[in-house]
Amino acid sequence: MKWRRWNYLLHRDIGFLCIGLTLLYAISGVAVNHISQWNPSYRVERIETNIGPVLGDPADAGTVRMILARLNEQGKLESSYRPDRKSLQLFVEGRSIMVDLASGHVVHDRAIPRPGLREMNFLHLNHPKKAWTWFADLYAVALAFLAISGLFMIRRKTLRRGLVLTGVGIVLPLFFLIVYL
Amino acid sequence: MRTFLTTILLVAMLSPTTTFAKDFGQGVTLAEETAISSIIDHPENYVGKKVKVSGLVIDVCSTRGCWVYLAGDRDFEKIRIKVTDGEIVFPMEARGKKATVEGVVESMELTREEVIRRRKHHAEETGTSFDPATVTSGETILRIRGLGAAIPGL
Repeated sequence: MKWRRWNYLLHRDIGFLCIGLTLLYAISGVAVNHISQWNPSYRVERIETNIGPVLGDPADAGTVRMILARLNEQGKLESSYRPDRKSLQLFVEGRSIMVDLASGHVVHDRAIPRPGLREMNFLHLNHPKKAWTWFADLYAVALAFLAISGLFMIRRKTLRRGLVLTGVGIVLPLFFLIVYL
Repeated sequence: MRTFLTTILLVAMLSPTTTFAKDFGQGVTLAEETAISSIIDHPENYVGKKVKVSGLVIDVCSTRGCWVYLAGDRDFEKIRIKVTDGEIVFPMEARGKKATVEGVVESMELTREEVIRRRKHHAEETGTSFDPATVTSGETILRIRGLGAAIPGL
């Protein structure tokens, strides 16, 4: 088989293999690009309410039970913390419940994972480490192969257009480097 | 093709499975643990040194996961663990869990303007209100530059 044929076959099949990961990196890429404007993996929901003044000792389990009962909280209490003498922070199944003891004002924080995006960002930002690092490296090599093998697929008929567009693709990042670096 | 796909599937199945890793960064290697209260009381003994501390995670950076606050071993005390953006990312689920963190103790002298800027930024991140008039002077910030952490139960 001629090398051109091999080039075409490998470009095609590696291209198929890369579709899933390319979409994952593209979607997650846009999401994490704007990390200064939003949390790409979680949505934080904040609910404020008032349960009335809490008079008991906040270190006492009975007082904590009473607070949870007033909140109609069914989740399991994991831990608690005293930020200062006036407040008590409770953690219930990953949620934070901050209670102002004197006023009874409660701030209930819940981090809700963004379905799909959290998982994509998890992989994109290489949080798993371990075998995923090598897999992602392999994907990068595959992308480089697609780019280079693509160059050899330019036919005489489209040579001029191919070279111009390839040149533009190389010049664009250089332009931003000159402007911002 | 069938053999190829079976191999890929096997490799994927045998790779270590992870949801959110409970070990972060370099992990925890020091044997001796230092009480957070000890660092707060005698920062001069710890600044620039690597320590291992543990405590309840009471807050997590909600935008980048780039810091956590650990509760101290005494009431009303806490210490901030700052990590390099992207190197370690603490998930929001860490709140309420006990963490062990290793890192280098840092002390920073801040002017009043710097304190205002930091608190304003923190208030924006946590969605809380902040009145600059409450800051009357500069202050010394004590924090740990986090290098590794372990959070069981994640």
